[in-house]
Amino acid sequence: ILDDPDLKDIDPTVLKHCHAAAATCILEAGKQKADISAISTCLEDCKLDKERIEQFCTEYQKNKDALEILLGSIGRSPLHITDVSWRLEYQIKNNQLHKTYQPSYLVTLNVENSDSGSHPDVSFSCTMEQLQDLVGKLKDAAKSLERATQM
Amino acid sequence: KLNVGVDTIQHGVEGLAYLLTESSKLMISEIDFQDSIHVLGFSDELNKSLLQLYLDNRKEIRSILGELAPRLPSYHSLEWRLDVQLASRSLRQQIKPAVTMKLHLNQNEDQTAQVLQTDPATLLHLIQQLEQALGEMKTNHCRRIVRNMK
Repeated sequence: ILDDPDLKDIDPTVLKHCHAAAATCILEAGKQKADISAISTCLEDCKLDKERIEQFCTEYQKNKDALEILLGSIGRSPLHITDVSWRLEYQIKNNQLHKTYQPSYLVTLNVENSDSGSHPDVSFSCTMEQLQDLVGKLKDAAKSLERATQM
Repeated sequence: KLNVGVDTIQHGVEGLAYLLTESSKLMISEIDFQDSIHVLGFSDELNKSLLQLYLDNRKEIRSILGELAPRLPSYHSLEWRLDVQLASRSLRQQIKPAVTMKLHLNQNEDQTAQVLQTDPATLLHLIQQLEQALGEMKTNHCRRIVRNMK
């Protein structure tokens, strides 16, 4: 904003105040999910004229959804799983035991940390039975979700 | 009680242990076992006892040896919970469903628990991917390999 040629005649301090005020107003409106009439009333109380209020509200309405998505994504949550990779191997022998002949799965859960942006993936091995147990439990969770959305 | 020196007993025990672990590790057949101990020149009765000892304990020895192999953390169990986020400091009036899970893993005698979360879409994706993984063992390719490796 400070570089905008249209605004170069205005005192930078005033510009900063305006920007901060506008940003605060927009963020509060977004946070509270205020509707247009509430915003209008608020701006009227601030003695803005009708034309300006209308302009503000139109712009706000245009960007409301994007604003809500942005606000909703701020915040802490446990590590979020984004994807899974797996590997199936057939074990033949190791130096302690020969002729093991066992299938085994290596599963990696790709995880995203909203805070630091690091990716501390979770990896573990499991037998076929264990993987079946895991999938069974995940399916239970999915079924519960479905039932919950139908309520 | 046996009227034999300590050293002899120690060597005897070590030798027996070595015989049994090596045989179990390699999973040798009865015939191979008998041929192997035959060269030691023991009596037939002793050879029979040794063979029986091998066959009786083979499974347990193998399972103990199996624990010594290098391992990644392994799956123990999973707990899950359905959550709906209704509001946060930055946004009120939300409806954000999520599945929160506690994954229990075993690593070298320790159990760790990790709390993870995912959204409904990713959950379905996870299920689909892992079901595909399970299905792999049943394909012709894998069946052929398992058959030929025995």
